[in-house]
Formats: sequence, structure tokens, C-alpha cells
Amino acid sequence: MRYRIMDVLLVASPYDSFVLEEAGQLGERVVGEFRNLDLHYGPGLTTVSTGGEALALVQEPSRFNLIISGLHLADMNGAQLARRVRELGLDIPVVLLAFDSRDVQTFALHHDLSAVERTFLWQGDARILLAIVKYVEDRHNVVHDTQIMGVQVIILIEDNVRYYSSFLPAIYGELLHHSRRLISEGVNTSDKIMRMRARPKILLCSTYEEAWEAFTMFQEDVLGVISDVEFPVEGKLSLEAGLDFARAVRAAWHDVPVLLQSSNPDHWVGAADVGATFLVKGSPTLLADLREFMTEYFGFGDFVFRAPDGTPVGRAYDLKSLEERLHTVPGESIAYHAARNHFSSWLKARTEFALADELRPRKISDFADAEVMRAWLIDTIARYRRQRSLMAVADFDRQALRGGRIADDLFHRIGGGSLGGKARGLAFVRTLLGRQPVVEPGGDVTVAVPAAVILATDVFDRFLDDNDLRHVALHTADAADLERRFLAARFPADVREDLAALMPALDYPLAVRSSSLLEDSQHQPFAGIYDTFMLANRDPRPELRLERLLRAIARVYASTFSQHAKDYIRATPYRLEEEKMAVIVQRIVGAVHGTRFYPDFSGVARSHNFYPIPPLEAADGIAAVALGLGRAVVAGGNCLRFSPRYPQHLVQFSSVKDVLASSQREFWALDMVLDADMRESRFSLDVAEADGTLAALASTYSRENDAIYDGISRRGVRVVSFASILKYGEFPLAPILQRLLALGTWGTGAPVEIEFAVDLARRELAFLQLRPVSIQHDDEQLAIDAPDPATLVCASTSVLGNGLVDDISDIVVVDRDRFDRANSRRTAADLARFNAELRGRPYLLVGVGRWGSADPWLGIPVTWDQISGARVIVEAGFSDLTVTPSQGTHFFQNLTSFNVGYFTVDPTTGFVDWPWLAAQPAVRATSTVRHLHTSSPLVVKMNGKLGRGAIWKPAT
Amino acid sequence: MRDHVSAVMSEVMAKNPAEPEFHQAVQEVAESLTSVLERHPEYRHAKILERIIEPERVVMFRVPWVDDRGVVQVNRGFRIEMNSAIGPYKGGLRFHPSVNLGILKFLAFEQVFKNSLTTLPMGGGKGGSDFNPKGKSDHEVMRFCQSFMTELSRHIGANTDVPAGDIGVGGREIGYLFGQYKRLRNEFTGVLTGKGINWGGSLIRPEATGYGCVYFASEMLATRNETLEGKTCLVSGSGNVAQYTVEKLLQLGAKPVTLSDSAGYIYDEAGIDRDKLAWVMDLKNERRGRIEEYAMQFKTAVYTATDPKLDHNPLWAHRAQCAFPSATQNEIGAKDAANLLRSGVYVIAEGANMPTHNDGVLQFVDAKVLYGPGKAANAGGVATSGLEMAQNSMRFSWTREEVDDRLRIIMRSIHKACVATADRFGSPGNYVNGANIAGFLKVADSMMDQGVV
Repeated sequence: MRYRIMDVLLVASPYDSFVLEEAGQLGERVVGEFRNLDLHYGPGLTTVSTGGEALALVQEPSRFNLIISGLHLADMNGAQLARRVRELGLDIPVVLLAFDSRDVQTFALHHDLSAVERTFLWQGDARILLAIVKYVEDRHNVVHDTQIMGVQVIILIEDNVRYYSSFLPAIYGELLHHSRRLISEGVNTSDKIMRMRARPKILLCSTYEEAWEAFTMFQEDVLGVISDVEFPVEGKLSLEAGLDFARAVRAAWHDVPVLLQSSNPDHWVGAADVGATFLVKGSPTLLADLREFMTEYFGFGDFVFRAPDGTPVGRAYDLKSLEERLHTVPGESIAYHAARNHFSSWLKARTEFALADELRPRKISDFADAEVMRAWLIDTIARYRRQRSLMAVADFDRQALRGGRIADDLFHRIGGGSLGGKARGLAFVRTLLGRQPVVEPGGDVTVAVPAAVILATDVFDRFLDDNDLRHVALHTADAADLERRFLAARFPADVREDLAALMPALDYPLAVRSSSLLEDSQHQPFAGIYDTFMLANRDPRPELRLERLLRAIARVYASTFSQHAKDYIRATPYRLEEEKMAVIVQRIVGAVHGTRFYPDFSGVARSHNFYPIPPLEAADGIAAVALGLGRAVVAGGNCLRFSPRYPQHLVQFSSVKDVLASSQREFWALDMVLDADMRESRFSLDVAEADGTLAALASTYSRENDAIYDGISRRGVRVVSFASILKYGEFPLAPILQRLLALGTWGTGAPVEIEFAVDLARRELAFLQLRPVSIQHDDEQLAIDAPDPATLVCASTSVLGNGLVDDISDIVVVDRDRFDRANSRRTAADLARFNAELRGRPYLLVGVGRWGSADPWLGIPVTWDQISGARVIVEAGFSDLTVTPSQGTHFFQNLTSFNVGYFTVDPTTGFVDWPWLAAQPAVRATSTVRHLHTSSPLVVKMNGKLGRGAIWKPAT
Repeated sequence: MRDHVSAVMSEVMAKNPAEPEFHQAVQEVAESLTSVLERHPEYRHAKILERIIEPERVVMFRVPWVDDRGVVQVNRGFRIEMNSAIGPYKGGLRFHPSVNLGILKFLAFEQVFKNSLTTLPMGGGKGGSDFNPKGKSDHEVMRFCQSFMTELSRHIGANTDVPAGDIGVGGREIGYLFGQYKRLRNEFTGVLTGKGINWGGSLIRPEATGYGCVYFASEMLATRNETLEGKTCLVSGSGNVAQYTVEKLLQLGAKPVTLSDSAGYIYDEAGIDRDKLAWVMDLKNERRGRIEEYAMQFKTAVYTATDPKLDHNPLWAHRAQCAFPSATQNEIGAKDAANLLRSGVYVIAEGANMPTHNDGVLQFVDAKVLYGPGKAANAGGVATSGLEMAQNSMRFSWTREEVDDRLRIIMRSIHKACVATADRFGSPGNYVNGANIAGFLKVADSMMDQGVV
């Protein structure tokens, strides 16, 4: 009896389960199991969000046979869940799915994982689920399948969770993908067909002994070996274990292909000696090379329509093409497959259970003839696809559009593949908003995601491949050349036609936004790394508007490979090759004012406030709003911050002086006339006053009376105070934000950040983005007792981050006394150079003023990639000016995601030992930045709960 | 005499423990008055020093209020009624978490002499609370102010004690306080200054310090039979004080050539004329931009960014006759003072508070240039409170020109008092001594006149 996983219980937050709904779509492309075998199955997925619910469910008789759990659940952790399952006497494997590789290590250190089958790492690729299911099945079935059916085995040796979590899905995926191609290309020599009769099993091993046992057991059936070079032998890490293993394998069976991979390129020689193929792990083309290697050996296929004699008459690779082919294939072929339940079997393999169940009971004899059945099949599949797209993101259908007008709530996708992080977040919000009203009953405010069309990642892949851009994109550093090539490239004809069909309906200004696979992935946010463009989209000629739209999309694609993005991705565990770009084409919310277009105001709200000041608490959240487009807010410029729970307690507006210094002075809008560079432009507030948009948001400062009066009826200086909204409730912003944040937090199981824009006249709050914010789960709390200040470089009572860091021996310090605020941009460039030179080595970054400030006068305007190697950052005050700490959205998003320690030093409660820093010899120095190297590491302790931290000087 | 002063100091410390700010203030004043007390044995006999350091009355009270969440909060309120020898107590209210008895006594003590120097009939006082306005809603601030005034109203009045604003107390708070006072006492009087123009406030408040400073410079020049006409003037800063200094300089025919902010300064050789000033006012007040933009707008100007590595500010090295430091404390160091003297400056009138470092002050005094210390030269700001009181008492509001005219008269009186006092105490032309002593003398003499009270 073969072991099958029929029902998987996923224990995860609602957001993660939403991600998996999209995985269903991805699955349609990759789950394509064998054409002739294994068709009748695909696991069902049930999701719960707590350990308690999970334990209740698994005790139902013979229901679930795999549990996949997150590390941290609301009521227990994954290890505890596994133990409880075992204590209940249930033989259900529990696999953990982690979301952060650091978290895996910490978790393993602090928890007993003996009851856990294995831990995998989520890296933004939903195929990991398939891999987990297959992995567990393969382990159970391998003995049976090899002995009875002669199924082949691939041995994968890898002890690093991050790598096997990325290889395993890739191998399963590629295996199937290429097998399809082999068949379609008619390569059908008998031995290859033999090998395709059943899907090869993959055995994942982490030690030499484990791998050797597997090899000796299945040696006649081993299809190949894919192995790391360094992994444990007899309990100790061996630097050449992979080479030894390859040698042993080749000695036994000289034709077994071996692929060795290592992050150390020097192993190339050793690999060549044993006759193994060698790949470098860090290589950006690793997966492509792996694919190439595997092309030689594995793969399976599509639905092939056949005539009764077996001649193929058509081919379908997904539901849509199945429907299309049904129109054209001969009736006898339909009858042939229907009689054998091929359709329902094939559909089941693609997890389309509902449809499969609908087709299966209908026999050919139920229909008058094959043509009637054809019509019924087409109709049923079309209806099913329509229904499904209503629930999620509908595929754009040019035919359906013809003659009809696009609805305001348009939300369509063009092309297959992933929607990308940002669009997925928006799709998730649409379903959330559909479920739960966020406005008061009877309220007149609409909260919705603005109409959007998403070009999914397949369009990106085709664009790159059709125009042969991939290689140059990965390797060039010449941004201008890259953009020129992308702009000159052609879009796939069907995509062009789809967009052309849409153009007459898209007659409003458009934002063309990036939505990459990795963007907004919970722990690697890529916030603000890729470009967004804005189009006035005013020309009466749709064809001209289309050209501009395509140019904007091409520029977003090009931004995937900008130096900025390349530097950034280097700081993450990802390879640029893994990144794919979807694009959101979305209505910009707002109205025309003169020659400008902008919403009344835009903003960002975060459910977690990093700098709460009583009575505010961290969990009360914080919002920032600004008149006009949202650029003022996300870039950390002057805007208004408030807690949605206490909209009238404006910390930054405590005195008249504060109001004048910190309130918005200019705003961003789309210039409808001069939009040559497809970006927003800046305008002064008197423009807004003339436009009539200031009145609803402003107050007036009277110099004469040294007071601020709400409204603009009096003479004086206008300040954007949001008084009419926050004090007088002219628009229920605070209550709506409170509910949206609560809903988002509930939905994602994590603190969230949302972006929005408001049109007051239409009473519309447009939801522009949802992003989970990562917060540390570190279990340990470090005690930081009163240390001797003489032993410290820095101490602070306002620290973000938690834990102990003791591997930093480099310090990059901005010299407080030599730093010149007038030249802060030069300092930022110097920092980028030091960051590049230190590649890979973590360092302590010490500087003055607001890090990442958009205003170069208030701090050093670095972007994240310019300091991406910093492990701990110190933000100290200027010698001559006190600056409120930054809360720039993107900067803090990155900070928390990369788990960077952040010390804000308030001179009354903390300090930086500047004289000590100045006394250390510099390895290299520019006019304002010095790089120091210490003989032994610094020790950094951070207590995230108390917000306290200290950095010790190296031991001498 | 030194013994007398140190005996008084010991007494002060023993009687007022844990008030270091107050100790320091008393020490400074007592030392600067040594020569005065030497020449006036009658002051010693009447124990003027001992009496003047003891507040006439200290009111300390509970300020309970309910915040927006319905939680009861309790703050502490203070009013130090320091000295009423020459007029009703007068001095600001400060709302700040650092407020305590020692700080307020120190501030009230200094206020006595500041007010006296304006030559207006104002005694000295100070008050406030440890209430922190940061992150409070309008309603909370209002409820706090009403509770604060509910007690304070028993102790103040247009003829008794007239508080004003200070840190944390601006136009909004004065409004709430005044409203509650009026409601409790059923009378509309000038019990507070800093009121809105519509309900008893005076015109020319933002202008007063800058205008007054220029008037003071003009009076100093008059002692040498000169005027500001045609004089090249260096002005630092670009806020209220600097802007109105430039405005008044232009009215009096001078040629201001510089302005600055924390990032750098501009030097306009052609002079900052009325149109350029209007542009600066729009830049700084409306657009809230950087002075750097001036040089982009007007080609006759050169912008120089602040260089923290320098030990001086090149602004003060330009050729000129007059200087008006109007930016911040200690902006003129020893080297700047030397540069000023070298580049021909012989009139320095301080619009900012203590802008010149002690070394610089000594250089100016030694060089016998016309140096008007901030205490005297920027008293215009304090004086407008007196003018508001005067208008309230008359139930009449002066026009802008009338207030300006009064201001000029007051600055002339202050100047005269400084000159006369400096002469009387043997350092003619020394405005520092003059200003330090003049304020004290008026109060001391009044106390002598009024007997032991």
C-alpha cells in the first residue's frame, strides 16, 4: 500500500494561508504530475491558525496525515505542537516551516526538535509546500516504489536548511517541467520512457552516513546524486565529504551522474577529479545551471489529447488551454478520454477537486453524442474558471471585455505566474474587505482597493526571454544602457493586445508599480527598492497612452536589475535570478486640480509604533499623513504623525515652534502637463490653497498672537494640521485606520503596515498596500546590568532589536565633529563605498542625525543598500541640533526585517564615547567617515522588551 | 563687603536647599553688585540684598484634571511673586516637566531686574507647572489650563500680578487661561499679557525685539552724534528678531548685508533692500526654507555654508560699522569679536540672548566700542508686555505706529538709564555695567522708599 498524503493540516496565520491560495495557482503550473501515473491524487489543504485548533482537528479519525506548522503560533510553538501530537499517540509527521533563517537557528537552540520530522524555510516560493509533501511521501514510499515499481531515486545531500528549502522545490519543479518538454519534443527512447514511468523519489540526507545508507540500499535505482561538498561525517563537519561521497558512488556505479555544489569555488578541481559536475552556490545562475543539469535526466507532462489509436491531437498545459483545446480536438478524442476518466484524473492532479468531482460521475453515455459532451465540458470548465476568478484574481479576458465597460472594482491579472508580493497583499486585502466591513454601518465612506490590472511574473519572464535580456540584465552595471535595451524590447503580442483592449477603459491617471516575488515577503521586504511610475494618461489617443504605459512597465522591469537592487539583494539570502517582477497598473486615487492630479491626502499606518510616547503604547500603532501623493510620507519627509487610537494627541505638535518646524511645507502631485519622467513633482502649499485642497486640512499660524488657529479663515502662515479630520472628525480617518490595522493584523498574524490615499469629495479611502512588519520572536531576554560606562562605546535606552551580537570587529563611524550637514550627501556616498569594501563583514555603524533622512539637513540621506552590511546602527544627535528620530517607512521596514540593532542615543539617558572612537587608528578614512578595525570583537547586547542596549569596547 | 555677600550666600543655601539654579542666580547678581553695596551702606542697613532674594510670596498648589481617557491627573502649580516694589508682579508662566520651585525662583529673581530695566512699572514674578504639553490634545490642554487658573485666579489681578507666556505657554494657553479667569471673576481686565489682538493684545509684539535693538543702537550712536544712515550692518539669524532688525535698519537708512541660519549665511554686497526682505520673510515664514536659497534668487549675494571645523564665523569678518547678533547664544566667540573690531565694527547691539561669549564682551569693553548687551538692547520684547498692560488699563488700543513710537521712547529711556548708571559708577560708556546696575538701583531705591515691607 503506497503512502499518500491526502490531507495536509497547515497551522499558520491567515496571511500565510492566503499566500497558499496563490500557491494553488502556482501549483497549476508545477504540480503537473506524471501524465500516466500518479494522476489520481493531490493533497487537500486545511488551514487553522492556532495549535489548539490543530490538536482538536488531528484527533478526528484518519483525517490528516501531515501537519505543517509555523514556528510560532499564538498559543504554542511548532516544537510543542509536534510533541503534543506524538504524546497523543498519533502517527502524523509534523514538519516546521520557518520564515526566517535566523529564527531557525535560534529556535533550534532553544527547543527540543526530536518530535519534528524536519524544518523547512519559506523563501517566497510557494512550491515549498509541494516539496514538503513530496519529501514526506518519498521517505515513506521509497522502499516500496523502488522494489515493486522500479522507481528511480535522486539523493540530495544538503545540511543547510536554507539551501535544501530552495533546492528541493526547484528540483521537484524542474523535474516535472522538463519531463513535459521531453515528451513534447518526442524524445521517447525506451529507457527514457522507462524512467518516466514513475516520478523519481528524492531522498534528502544531511550526513554522510545517512546518504551512504540510502545509496547502498537503492544503488541500482539511483538516478543521480546532487550533493553539497561540506557536510558532517561521523558527527563532525568534513570539508570534503561531498568529494569523498562522489568518489565512492562512482567507484560503485560509474554512470551515476553526480552534481556537486559549494559556496567555495575552489572545490571545482576536486569535483572534476571525481568526474562530477560542479556548481557554485552563490552564483546568480545556480538554478538555471541546476535546471540544465537536470534536463539531461528528469521530467514529465501535460494533458495530451489523443485519438483512439494513441496519436496526440492536442495538448493542454493548464485549465485555460484545456478549455481552448476542447473547442478544436476531434470528438472521438474527447470520447476516448472521457471513457477513461482522464479529465477528472488530470484535474485532480492539479488540485481542481471541485471540477474533477463534477466531471467524474458524468459518463459518455449520459450525452447524446460527443459534440454534446464537448459543449457541456467547455461550459462547465468555463463556469468553474469564472467562479474561481471571482474569488481570487480573475484572469483578464479580452473577449469578455468586448462591448462591456470595466467595473470600478476591476482587479485582473494578465499572464501566468505569481502576482508578486505587493499585488498579493492587495488581493488579500480585497478578500479581507469583502469579508468584514471597516466603516460604520450607515457611514458614507468607501474603503476599497483601486481598480488594477496585474501583469504576473510570466510576462516578465517572457519579456526577458523573448528579447534575450536576461544575461545582460544580470551582468551589466550600466544603468542607462540597461534601460535603453529594455525600452527598445518588445512585449509579447498577446500581452500587448490585452493592454490595448483595456486602454479605452483605463482613462484615468495610472500608477505603474513594481510587485516582485520578494517584495513585501514578510521577512525580506524589499521596500522601496524598485521603481514606481506615474502616468497622467491623458492623451485622447489610446494607442499613444498604450505606448507610454508599455514604456513605464519596461522601466519597472529594468529597475529589477538596477545597481541599487543588486546591492540590496546581496544583503539578503536570495539570488537575483530568483527575483521575478510582476507589475501593477492601478488607478491613482485623486482629482484634477488645475494641471495637477492628486488625492486630498495620503498616508501610511503601522500597527506597531516603535517610539511610543505616553499615553500611546506600541500596540496603539502610528499613522503618518500628508496632503497630496504619498511620497512625502514613505520617504520620511515632513508630515503629520498620529496614533489612530489618540488622533488628538499630536506629539510632534506640542508647541507652536514644533508645529512650524515639523509640519508639511510642500506636497507631491502628478503634473498632468509635464510628466515626461513619469514621476510625481513637488509643489508649494500656496498651490494647494489655490487649488482649494488646503482648506480641509490646514490651520493658520498667527505671528501676532503666537498661536495656531484651525482653518484658513484668518490671515497668517498655513500649516497642514489635519485639524478638521483629526479633531473635528470631518472624515472618520482614525476609526477606519484602527479597524484596518486590526483587520490586517488579524489577517496576517503579524503587525502590519498599510498605505492609503483619501479623496474627500468622493468619500473614498483607497487601500494601496498591505505589508506585514516583522517583529522579533527572540525568546531570550538579555539582562543588561549597570555596566561600567568606561567599558562601553555606547549605551542607549531607546534600542530596537534584541539579542547578543559578538562578531563585529569593524566600525564605520561618521565623525561628529568633522561632519558637515551641508555636505551630508557626500558623507552618504563615502558610507556606500565603505559598505561595499566591507562586503560580507558585519559592522557597527555610528553616525549623527537621522539615518536615511530625506532631508539632507536633518541627517545622512543614505538609502538602505548603501549601509546594507551594518549589523548594528547608532543614531546620535548632532552637536548643534536635536532631531527627532526618524520613522521613515521604508527605512524602518528594512531595519526590522534585517534584524539590525538600532540604538537611538538621547544624550540625557545614553552616550557615545566619541573620544574613544576618535582615538582608534583608522584603516581608511575620508573627510568625514572613518573605518576602524578592532583586534577582538565588540559585544553588543540588546534587550528588545525594555528597549535598552549597550555596546562594549573590545577586550584588550 | 565680600564677607557680607558670602554671608548672604551661605544663608541662601541653608534656607533654600536643593535649589541650585536659584543659588547660582543670586551669586551672580550679588557679585556684580558688590561695588553698589559698597557705595550704599543704607542698602546694607535696610537689608536690601537679604530682602530682595526672598520672594514676597510663593504659591504652590494642586492642579487636578481629567485626561481624555477619563483618568485623573495631578500636576503641581506655582506662582513666585518675587518683588512688587515698582509695580505689579510680572513674569511668564512655564509649562514643562522640568519645572520646579528652584528653577522658577531663579527665573523670577532675574525677571525683577529685567522688568526694572525697561523703566516701566513692572515688578517681578514667575510661575508655571510641571505639566508636559507634549502629546496632549487641545481638550486636555484646555482642561489643565482651566484647573490651573481656578487656583491661580485667587492670587493674580491686573493690579496685583500679571502673568504672561513662556515655554509651553503660547497664544492658545493664554486664551484658555484668560477665558477661565474671566469666567471665575466676572471681569474683563488685563490680568494676562500675550493675549490675542481681538481681546486685549498689543500690536508690534513680533517686531518689538528687533525694532528695539535697532533703536538702542541708534541711541548709542547718538552719543557720538552719529546716526544709522548709510551704515553697513551685519545681521545674523533670519527669524523674527533678524527680520525686524533689518526692517527697522532699512527704515532708518542703514544698509544690512548679511543674514544667516544654522546651515550658513548670505552676504549681499548690494545690501538687503525692502524687496529682498519681503522675499526673505516669505521664504522663512511661509515656505520655511533655507537662507541658502537667497543666493540663488539674488545674484548679488554669496552663500557660505557653516563650516564646523572653523573656530570662527566668517560672517563677522565682513567690512561694516554695525553688528546685530540676532541668532543664538554664544554665536560670537573670541576670534569673531577680534574680527569684528578689525573689520571696522564699532556698534554692537545684541538682539539675541547672550550672543557674545565672555571673552568677546571683554574685548568690546576694552576697545571702548558701542556695545549694547542683550539685557538692555533686546528689552523691547519685555517692554511690550508693559505696553499691553498700559493699553488694557486705558481700555484703548494703540495703532501700530503708536506702539512703535512708545517702544522707541522706552528704548531711549533704557539707554539713558544705562549711560547714567555707568557714569555714576565710574565706568562711562560701559553699557554692561550700566545695565547690570540700573535695574537693581530702581528696585532698591523703591524698596527703601516703601519702608520695611
